[in-house]
Amino acid sequence: MRVKPIVCDMAEIYLDWNDSLDVLTRAYSAGLFTIIIGPKGTGKTSLVRQFASNMNKELQSVNFSLRTRESHLIGSKTLDKGEINFVEGILVKSMKDGSLLYLDELNAAEADVLLRLDEALDDRRQVVLKEADGQVITAREDWSVIATINPLSHVGTKELPPQLLSRFPVRIRLEYPPENVELEIIMRHVSNIGDSKLDDVKRAIKLSKSLRDAAAVEELYYSPSIRETIAFTRLLNTGILPKKAAEIVFANAYDQWGEVEFRKVMDMIISIFGD
Amino acid sequence: MVIKVLSLNLSLLHNEVLLDIATFLARRWTNNSKVQVIIKNQKVPITRPDKNQITLPGPYHFPGTDFQRYRQWRIMLWYEAMRLTFCSKVMSYDHIFGFLLNTLETKRAEILGLRSWRGMEKEIVFNEGISWLSKPLLNSLYGKHKVAEAFSQYFLTGSLKGELFGNEFSRVQKGAELAKEILDHTIANDQGTEAIEQRIPELVRILELNSLASFPIITPASKVGFGRSVDEKGLLAEIEKLVKRKNLEPEQLVKKSKEIFEGREVNAEFDALVKESKRSENKGQEGIENLGLTVPKDVDSDESQIYDLDLIQRTKSQFKHWKTGWHEKHEEAGDEFDPETFVERLSRTFITDFKLSYRSKVAIVLDHSSSIEDSEQDYKRATVALCEALKFLKIKFGVYAFSTEAGQVRCWIIKPPNANWTRIHARRLAQIKALGGTPLAEIYALLEPVIRSFKPDIVATLTDGEPSDYDAVRRMVLMYRRMGIRMAALGLGRTLNAAVNISQNLQYLEYEKSLAVSMLGDIPKKVINLMQT
Repeated sequence: MRVKPIVCDMAEIYLDWNDSLDVLTRAYSAGLFTIIIGPKGTGKTSLVRQFASNMNKELQSVNFSLRTRESHLIGSKTLDKGEINFVEGILVKSMKDGSLLYLDELNAAEADVLLRLDEALDDRRQVVLKEADGQVITAREDWSVIATINPLSHVGTKELPPQLLSRFPVRIRLEYPPENVELEIIMRHVSNIGDSKLDDVKRAIKLSKSLRDAAAVEELYYSPSIRETIAFTRLLNTGILPKKAAEIVFANAYDQWGEVEFRKVMDMIISIFGD
Repeated sequence: MVIKVLSLNLSLLHNEVLLDIATFLARRWTNNSKVQVIIKNQKVPITRPDKNQITLPGPYHFPGTDFQRYRQWRIMLWYEAMRLTFCSKVMSYDHIFGFLLNTLETKRAEILGLRSWRGMEKEIVFNEGISWLSKPLLNSLYGKHKVAEAFSQYFLTGSLKGELFGNEFSRVQKGAELAKEILDHTIANDQGTEAIEQRIPELVRILELNSLASFPIITPASKVGFGRSVDEKGLLAEIEKLVKRKNLEPEQLVKKSKEIFEGREVNAEFDALVKESKRSENKGQEGIENLGLTVPKDVDSDESQIYDLDLIQRTKSQFKHWKTGWHEKHEEAGDEFDPETFVERLSRTFITDFKLSYRSKVAIVLDHSSSIEDSEQDYKRATVALCEALKFLKIKFGVYAFSTEAGQVRCWIIKPPNANWTRIHARRLAQIKALGGTPLAEIYALLEPVIRSFKPDIVATLTDGEPSDYDAVRRMVLMYRRMGIRMAALGLGRTLNAAVNISQNLQYLEYEKSLAVSMLGDIPKKVINLMQT
């Protein structure tokens, strides 16, 4: 059986279980930039998309990594039909449009990239384009920025320089939700979960929580996110046995750290789901 | 039917490997990351809810093949984990009151535990089956002991092994009925150990026993002796009986029983643990006794007090900069022309990006002489943070420590270079007491063959810089440096003045790089300077 990819409206899916939307709205109306701090898969991106949709704002997103360069943000010169043109980067574009700039995983960026961002985020809200003959770009009044960072324990993350952190005076901590809220989130993402499967979904949430706890005290290398419990539920809906679905979604990820790590997680799966 | 009998010697299942999995499972089953598991040579498990501690006998205490022993040991761990979760008190088994309370609590922990861990049901059936075979025949017991044992058998399994005479059976039957009623009431009303404890005297009266009478502890080991094999056919028949009685998918009785008998899932785990034990066997420890190195043997120390998670995270975060990232370097030719450098008339006018990646080997030597006694825990926490960060970056490292024990200087091997760092190595570290002098030069001399064979790029010594013989240490440090090893030292002082003194001492000792800090929190940022070339 093939399941059609689920395309849905974020506004209907996002569950604002800790009133983050309210904080974002207030920060926006006060002209303050916000940073959302939390582990992967806790719904940071969904929250921002929901907020943009609520505010009817266009969302410009950039996902940072070690290889994100200044030119991605600012722009670069190109040669087109014998003419040298400056192609604006996402930062410049959003400042001009007054759109909502979403800086995802900001603490994965390199220092030189952060330096250019710092320039744009201070009170003057402007950036000097040395790449385009010193042109000065000033942001529109309604320009706003939301950034997210993963905790430092995540691979590829760095400590955010204090001066940059101070540009985001509103800070929202987004943790993994309680088990009942996680179930509700899953139910918003996966329709038609039969009553017979509900117990297994609850067990998968319990397993996920247990693995997150283990990762938090350095007993495991990887902490599963809500994405994994959603994936488990979707697989379950295809008719696969719960133990098998849990093995595919949760346990197999740990095999890369050795058989004992894999077996530890399998033991949890067997204890929870049985054969 | 194929009966799989493993010929593996259980001694191949190392205590350290067992402790690693047991700690993981107990913490996850109890949902309590502070639980500590200890393996000791004793007959019965001892669980201390107040201390979050479970002490188990080793798997060799159980009858059967090595795999069957492991299965029984694992299910015992589960029962104790459930006891820790649901019981506020665990009494000694060696008197009637404690024995009866623990019997009822075992059943309550099982019922409540299965609500969350339904996958344990088959292992419980296997355990009941195999332990039934080694239970004492009631005919061989006498008096109060016989009645108490009969009550335990009848209440927990619904059967009796052997015969009861006179009014004994009626007492046992009434006792079991009362116990069931107590249990049902306690569970239905969400009550705990105290509610059961209050009603144990009633049970004692019905069974006509004496609460304080001593009770000989019967365990599979004391009953059947070491290494006794299990009658495989008898075991399978027993499992079939239990499957039938518990009504577990009756239409597939034979298939289900065979599955429970074989326990494939747990077998895969057992095989992985045996492989891991073989892999870690003698890893980097060949002939260490001949070299004068000792492996700390105690496995009951609590490593959690030297695990500073915040310090570990920050050290990891700093080390990531060291290991990965991009670094700009000025070159004579390269990717990007730098006009400012050109204007300043410097020769290297191009900027090139270099990817940082560090492949190195590190040896850590930890001074545990009495002079560091005041900062002993801080030294241990710093070492653990360093080890966790090195492990995170997949850097090969060995850890050694020295102290004095029973008047003799010992050089401890905490983690050999080829083993993976686990909490068990932290346990080894936790048990070393800061005591004795600081014969650092002698320790360097002792470690020389190990270091020559490991060939680390860096030897990092955590010390207060007050060795017994300064000149001898200088000579040894210089000798190591001539071997091409970067000698680094890190000191922790309780106060700023102490840190300054340590720093001066370390500089005098000819370490290539040295630093001293007065606050543990300063380590992550500073220690990276020690490691960088």
